[in-house]
Amino acid sequence: MPTEITLRLQINGEQVRRIIPANRSLLDFIREDLRLTGSKHGCDVGDCGACTVLVDGAPQLACITLAAECEGAAIRTIEGVTDGGGLHPIQEALHRHVGAQCGYCTPGIVMAMTSLLEADPHPSDSAINEALGSNICRCTGYTKILAAVREVARPGSPS
Amino acid sequence: MLPFPKFSYEAPGTLDELFTLASVSGSRIVAGGTDLLPSLKHRLFQDTLLISLRRLRELRGVTIEGGALVIGANTTLRDVARDDRVAAGWPALRDACRTIATSTIQAMGTLGGNVMLDTRCLYYNQPDGWRASIGGCLKADGSVCHVAPNGAGCYAAHSADTVPALWLYGAILRFGSERGIREVALADLYGTDGRTWLGNARDEVLLAIVVPKAPAGSVVHRKLRARGAIDYGMLLTAVHRRPDGSGAAVVSALGPRPVFVEAERVEDLAAAAHKAATPMRTHAYGVGWRKHMVRVEVERALAGS
Repeated sequence: MPTEITLRLQINGEQVRRIIPANRSLLDFIREDLRLTGSKHGCDVGDCGACTVLVDGAPQLACITLAAECEGAAIRTIEGVTDGGGLHPIQEALHRHVGAQCGYCTPGIVMAMTSLLEADPHPSDSAINEALGSNICRCTGYTKILAAVREVARPGSPS
Repeated sequence: MLPFPKFSYEAPGTLDELFTLASVSGSRIVAGGTDLLPSLKHRLFQDTLLISLRRLRELRGVTIEGGALVIGANTTLRDVARDDRVAAGWPALRDACRTIATSTIQAMGTLGGNVMLDTRCLYYNQPDGWRASIGGCLKADGSVCHVAPNGAGCYAAHSADTVPALWLYGAILRFGSERGIREVALADLYGTDGRTWLGNARDEVLLAIVVPKAPAGSVVHRKLRARGAIDYGMLLTAVHRRPDGSGAAVVSALGPRPVFVEAERVEDLAAAAHKAATPMRTHAYGVGWRKHMVRVEVERALAGS
């Protein structure tokens, strides 16, 4: 039975092929093997959402995903949330509303909100709340994060 | 940091390969893994081979066969919850899926994984160092049950959110192994000891959940938890209000096996559930309060039915 596997996947548009241990988490693969350290290591057991990345467009917790399970998948991390060097509208709005304080949860929140807005560009408040329920922030109290997401979801309306 | 233990990994491409691998001692199926992988980090299992279902397309998706819903075991909870046919015909199943953990976990976890979910307990679902500090427990590493030191077994609580609703909908579980296909009523799967709560043979793999056409009347699901997201339930309740004035309820998170009660008059259902429920110290909330809440949750569910 193989304890090492050959993994092929796409990360932020780039094709990657590596031989990895079967017990490598997707988060360790991204952070340690690919040196993309934007995705954060928080609770390590799938509670906090700091490691959220998009796998084929769906949000996933990289700390409790086996890298092996992502064979052939297209993965997007915070480093690839925009094509160029600029900020994503969610990042800009978080910046404007001071929706990041210590910043540790921010990459996971940006990825979760990116997935939400790509599926539905104008989500209701309850849909935003439900999606944000996946990510723990211990600094902001969420008010400023909610204001930022609402601004992107419904430009021009009071947040 | 909580590293994974060492294990090998296979992703079979056919059901025959799957059944052969599942017969290997020390193997375990990954169907989402949102509970299994944290548990491996906590050293709750000693499996040496993980078997992925990801290449088996026939185990993913929702179909209708003769009026029954057939859900592949590896279908994500999100895909079940978003299916219009599920919402129209079996709304309590959709509601149950939508209360599981968080929306991200619903996009990862699967219905099969939920039906086969490990039982849970305050003294069991802890990192190995924490458990070592109390000498382990009956379900892992130790010989004493801290919930009931003088009891006869393990009382870890059945915590699968979708099971009470699936039970009242009369769900059938389709298992496969090298010996063939076998169907079991979901209501007959679960046993009374938290270590051996699943009645299937070790090499039998859950392939599909078959939910017959919903019974007449209305089925409603409720979940009692501390926060509006993430938490496992303190109580999981489903009720069935039948057109003839009778009713049935399944209440879970009380012990290894969900509790089923019926009442000829639906007005008596909450009292019947309250009488049958014996919460244990498996959760960080008082047993007296949780027993009281059985009555309240059944009443609330009936009010919504």
